[in-house]
Amino acid sequence: MFEKFTKEARQVVVHAQHVAREEHSGSIDGRHLLVSLAESDGPAAGALTDAGLDPAEVSTSVRGAIRAGDPLDGTSLAALGIDLDAVRARTDALFGEGSLDRAGSSRRLWARRKATGHIPFTPDAKKALELSLREALRLKHRGIDSRHLLLGLLRDENGPGARALSDAGAHPERLRHQLENLAA
Amino acid sequence: MTQSTLVTAASGDDPGDGLRAVRSLRELADRLETLQVERARSLGWSWQEIAEALGVSKQAVHKKHGRRI
Repeated sequence: MFEKFTKEARQVVVHAQHVAREEHSGSIDGRHLLVSLAESDGPAAGALTDAGLDPAEVSTSVRGAIRAGDPLDGTSLAALGIDLDAVRARTDALFGEGSLDRAGSSRRLWARRKATGHIPFTPDAKKALELSLREALRLKHRGIDSRHLLLGLLRDENGPGARALSDAGAHPERLRHQLENLAA
Repeated sequence: MTQSTLVTAASGDDPGDGLRAVRSLRELADRLETLQVERARSLGWSWQEIAEALGVSKQAVHKKHGRRI
């Protein structure tokens, strides 16, 4: 499927890996894709702006939501006198980089990460990527760019990416309209 | 950190803060256990030896980690 992705869309997928790593997530879900889209300077970020949203604010608020949802909370641990960064430095040294993050993911995702060395996509993130392909086909576009990725996220209305967008103040219908009119 | 600061934080004024701290501690312990058990297995430790070090039964440790590692 990735062969249909434009270079820009591939960079969004690659950057989603960086976002997951920075936020110490064990897997990549729709929210990481959304942050990556908001931080890109491609047409999806432009559509967010046209729909009245500030991409930088979307990125900040969704990153905050990712951190807040992490059961391993550095602030709570700091209140107990435990320095989570210090623990991470030790586990990185002894068990490999990112080991503490991957140890928190499901058995299946953990196995995949061990096998590939990449942070795995959750089923919902895969679904969003598949839906972006369907959106491109529906609009009769040859390549999948960041607009289609964002449309794919929106299409899965109950997925974490679409919900995070609504929480960030997006109006899904308006945004979809912007994206479809931008697409050429 | 002294024992008393640990107890103070774990039994802080707001139960929400205290409960979140407990949840994070448990999550941290679970993840460290996973990593340590995996490493011990790769170094040739038996399930029996790991169970003894963790202070649990061999069945318990195998049930929790056997399929993963």
